[in-house]
Amino acid sequence: MARMKFLCDAERCIECNACVTACKNENEVPWGVNRRRVITLNDGEPSEKSVSVACMHCTDAPCAAVCPVDCFYTTTDGIVLHDKDLCIGCGYCFYACPFGAPQFPEQAAFGGRGKMDKCTFCAGGPLPDNSDAEYQKYGSNRIAQGKLPACAEMCATKALLAGDGELVSDIYLKRVMKRSGRPDTWGWQKAYGSGV
Amino acid sequence: MIQRRKAVLAGVLGLAVAMLSGCYESTTPTMHEPGVYKGKQDPLRDKLKGNDLQAQLNDRFQRAAQDR
Repeated sequence: MARMKFLCDAERCIECNACVTACKNENEVPWGVNRRRVITLNDGEPSEKSVSVACMHCTDAPCAAVCPVDCFYTTTDGIVLHDKDLCIGCGYCFYACPFGAPQFPEQAAFGGRGKMDKCTFCAGGPLPDNSDAEYQKYGSNRIAQGKLPACAEMCATKALLAGDGELVSDIYLKRVMKRSGRPDTWGWQKAYGSGV
Repeated sequence: MIQRRKAVLAGVLGLAVAMLSGCYESTTPTMHEPGVYKGKQDPLRDKLKGNDLQAQLNDRFQRAAQDR
């Protein structure tokens, strides 16, 4: 059984933000919500690196563990999704997530957060695949169409990889061996446990 | 006259029963299993059970992620 994972090769990321734009364009994400963003570490120093961050679809997702209404579910290939009809916008998932993935549109009255929104690995939500309702609530469902997330497919340097974890790590290890570097699978241990 | 009284009495009784039944409140609490997803089922889950879609995704990954 496949296990879908994201991996950002920090040696390749050039901070172009094409992944952010691709995500916003593909899913028509509301204003103020960033499902994906590029973080630059040690900015301005020789060791400067950039990584593209979104929901990592953790193996033991902390957001699901703290959700008081249990609106999270995991697909058979490890994609963590949620039901916006159940979400009460409490924000617990935001505090629990080590990647800052949950986003809130803050369009409700009296400063209410609104329903949580996050990266879906372009797999939509619990509504009929590729229906208008699904698109409006969760965005595009590329997985059901046999496509991979738009952010990774749009990446010009192929820094952002999205797919079955074994295939992703195969390609990454080949790259590391070719450039004689050290593997730096940013966020993998936190998201997928110590066995990766 | 008696029949009319009976009909009124039956009507009043019926109304009283209807009103009283409206006041009924179930005292059985709804028990939820913590940590169990309670939302709608995602049709994508069934699609992913088959190997066809997964093979298609893997093939696409091999084509998209490899250096040209």
